[in-house]
Amino acid sequence: MALTAVVAIPLVAALLCWLAPLRKFAWVITLISTWTVLPLAVLVSAEVLSKGRVIGLPGWIEADAFGALVLTLVSFVAALASVFAGGYMRRREHEHSRLWWFYCNYNLFAFALLSVPVLTEPNLVWVGVELITLFAVLLVGFEKTNGALEAAWKYAILTMMGAPISLLGFFALFWAYRSAGGGIPETWEGLRMLGPSMDPNLLKLSFLLVFVGFGAKSGLAPVHTWLPDAHSQAPSPVCAVLSGVKTTVPLYAILRLLSIVLASPAARVGNWMIVLGLISVGIAAFLLLQVRDYKRMFAYSTVEHMGIILTAAGFATRGSDFGAVSQMLNHAITKSLCFYVAGIILLALSTREINSVHGLFRVSPFAGSALVLCSLAIAGAPPFPIFLSEYAILSAGVRAEQHAAVAILAVLIVIAFVAILWHVNRMVFGKPTIPYSVESLPVSCRLAVILAAAPVVLLGVYIPVPVHNLLQLAAQQLGGHGP
Amino acid sequence: MADPQTSIPEALNTLCAGLVLISAFAMVATRQVQGVVRFFVIQSLLLSASCFLLGYSRNSRHLWTLGAITVAAKVIAIPWILRRLLPGEFYERREISQAVNIPASLLISLFLAILAEFLVGPVAAANTDPLIRINLPIGLAGVLIGAYSLIARREAIPQLVGILAMENGAFFAGIAIANELPLIAELGVALGVMLIVVVIGLLSRNIRLKLGTTEAGTLSELKEEATSWR
Amino acid sequence: MTETISYNVLQVLFIMGFAPLYAGVLSRLKEIVQSRRGPSIFQSYRDIWKLFHKDQILSEETTWIYRLTPYLVFVIPIFVAILIPVLTDFPLVFAFMGDMLAGGFFLGLGGFFAALAAVDTGNPYGPMGASRTRMVGFLAEPVFMIVFFTVSFVAQSTIPYIVQQKWVASPGAFFSPAHILLLIAFLMLILAEGGKIPVDNPTGHFELAMIDESKGLEFSGRDAALMKWGGQMKFLILTCIFLNVLVAPWGLAHAQPAIGLLIAVPLILFKILLFAIALVVIETSLAKLRLFRISEFLGAAFITSVAAMITSIFPGA
Repeated sequence: MALTAVVAIPLVAALLCWLAPLRKFAWVITLISTWTVLPLAVLVSAEVLSKGRVIGLPGWIEADAFGALVLTLVSFVAALASVFAGGYMRRREHEHSRLWWFYCNYNLFAFALLSVPVLTEPNLVWVGVELITLFAVLLVGFEKTNGALEAAWKYAILTMMGAPISLLGFFALFWAYRSAGGGIPETWEGLRMLGPSMDPNLLKLSFLLVFVGFGAKSGLAPVHTWLPDAHSQAPSPVCAVLSGVKTTVPLYAILRLLSIVLASPAARVGNWMIVLGLISVGIAAFLLLQVRDYKRMFAYSTVEHMGIILTAAGFATRGSDFGAVSQMLNHAITKSLCFYVAGIILLALSTREINSVHGLFRVSPFAGSALVLCSLAIAGAPPFPIFLSEYAILSAGVRAEQHAAVAILAVLIVIAFVAILWHVNRMVFGKPTIPYSVESLPVSCRLAVILAAAPVVLLGVYIPVPVHNLLQLAAQQLGGHGP
Repeated sequence: MADPQTSIPEALNTLCAGLVLISAFAMVATRQVQGVVRFFVIQSLLLSASCFLLGYSRNSRHLWTLGAITVAAKVIAIPWILRRLLPGEFYERREISQAVNIPASLLISLFLAILAEFLVGPVAAANTDPLIRINLPIGLAGVLIGAYSLIARREAIPQLVGILAMENGAFFAGIAIANELPLIAELGVALGVMLIVVVIGLLSRNIRLKLGTTEAGTLSELKEEATSWR
Repeated sequence: MTETISYNVLQVLFIMGFAPLYAGVLSRLKEIVQSRRGPSIFQSYRDIWKLFHKDQILSEETTWIYRLTPYLVFVIPIFVAILIPVLTDFPLVFAFMGDMLAGGFFLGLGGFFAALAAVDTGNPYGPMGASRTRMVGFLAEPVFMIVFFTVSFVAQSTIPYIVQQKWVASPGAFFSPAHILLLIAFLMLILAEGGKIPVDNPTGHFELAMIDESKGLEFSGRDAALMKWGGQMKFLILTCIFLNVLVAPWGLAHAQPAIGLLIAVPLILFKILLFAIALVVIETSLAKLRLFRISEFLGAAFITSVAAMITSIFPGA
């Protein structure tokens, strides 16, 4: 019951935003819908912890641990982003009459994001991921500047190019399912059970195609080029959702497929995943050294973390799966915080260039300290949660005897760390060059930053037992063997 | 070679397969926007003809509906939407600006078709169903060639048609198994395709309003350049 | 034995005799489609007759190549005619003397000498046309090769008669994508080699734009008649290969008696007439390509033929 409500509420909210008399209240409607969805999602996760599976519509909408985790993440980020969006959009957007379109789109976007983790049929998952892309494109191009249109165009073309490829991959998956005899309804669970008896060639082909198709949407190299552009041009709340969860959801789908492929002993794809993941991390790390725009900086950091998750999944051990899943969680909450901070910097100083920002700490202590906090967190410094999950991944890799990969990964993470902190250092300290704008930061933005910072600070030192259990259960879904 | 016992509908299906491959090549080789759209329409017609033939030979109502959906969506609706949203682009009679010239493009598409056959090779070798042997490689070839035409072209409508051609290719490979897919998945896919067209059409229209052209080469503001180490 | 030799002779006479008629029918049909009356279909015969009775003028600058070429151009199609199925679908006596590759080489030989002769005279238009013809020829070579390879691979033989039997046996084989793609590729090849639109304009008189017509520019009298007749025979040969081997092997005589052969003659003529109508429709609906676009045209033909090869070799292998 709660599960169906989670999916249905944003859809209703979008409809309400569209209705003419209610357009002025679009933001309030969005707030109400996302903040209702969040506790419902937490409820679903709690149920999953106790029962193992939650069934919304039998056969269509079900949640297991991994799905519940992603669902909760999505709802958390969406809720905070809608808080942030209130002040931000009002400040940035000059035509207030267009804002209802933004919120309508935002709700549809949330609907699509929430539906993917809980759909059981892989083909419907494809439809869901495509819908996510479509709404994201509309949101990225919202500001209608030249840069925004270019970013939206690149985004649209690069990701929609992946759509038919992944569709073919899902068809091949269905073929493999039929070659194993069928009988069980085609759901993720059913496919995992049939895994060993499916044609390994078809499985490999299917995985390759789906990986290529969805990888573009997750920002994996070499088709990550849309990410920095989209993130620098889209409104900050949208960026938060994009980076935090929208890149994670296709990766979720890829990891589901990976668990099916790993169930069939004849198909070995782990090493490929490691290599591709390392390529992503490498490209991101080196591009971080020469980035000029701080929103792009955070975008490259997203590419880096997606690569880390992919590498972790490639190690295919239980420890590394746990690392991958916790990295997903930590990245979602940290990255959304980063983009809220980037948003308030943009509001305060109206420039995106790193070189133009100096002495942020003196200009706005709130923004400065938030920036220091979030950049330390995203770069992977202790005592923040990303440090913990990266450590878990590295140690799992060592236990899995992938020494070369672990070494390269560690080096690249350090490079990225140095790059991010160097840029942030230039921004935060020193003498301010740009005069501060007279208006102070909107209340809703400050509130969103504080609310988002809380779990980041908390999870770095203490992981509550239910969260830990949820992560454990989710990791089991990924199908790794060994330590 | 097809064995002599194949029925007429299945033989015609292989004919459609060959012509689908040719229309994919033709889409790469045309110079004008209207030509590209025309060949896309031909390809969609061939796709739906294949659906009807297979539906007839396997007595699957599912395939008949799929064919009908394809005709309605891709042959009728999409060109109409394109004409309404982007009339300026659509009726222009100049050459599409391309990154690679046409004979080289044709050779690359040929190479992609051969690559598709190789990729599907191990799968096809293990399977005796003639449909898997024909539909899957040609579908994959259609996807790859569509992706290439997307990369090589620099304007909005040819790129959009490239995506749709890839969709055609994926579908062509999928109809061999389609009579067991749930209909809702098919409807979802068809809807997705329409939405893709609408979204990209709207985007192109905005770009054209802003920049006067949808030639993507003019969109080059966002680039990463090396900064000095100060 | 004598029967089959006489069948071969009959085959050759068929080609020699009906080539001018074919050319005449083509030009008449084209004129009719353009709402004009056009010359009589027997006009080509009259032209050849007229040319045979005219004086011959040879330039002093020319060599033996110039004098030899008209005879070569005349004899080579006759030679190829012996190798391909024209009236019968069972192999005749000389059918195994050379296969399709040999036939292709001979036609190429004729074209080669024609180009050389055009250069030999020293007239500026000759070499221009010759170089263009060679360009078209060399672009068309790979197409011909790939078509030949695919066809032979599928039929497990290189003799045209046997290919024709295997290839169009069943509907499955006839409609296979390889077959249809080969048809398209070979049709494009015929248009290129025969100098028809869209590659070249056969009725044009403008020397600067001529491709295939230029080879006959310098000849006079008997030489001109031989070149003209040879060119028409070559086109009829190509049509026969296309129709009898690849497309529609119906109407060919099945069995030994001579009656069958004589009945086959009007049937084959009827088939050629249908093809002529199709050809005229293609010619009048397309425009002549610019010179540098010819490489794209033949590139498309090449792609089509390789696609045919892919679809025939890979799935069926």
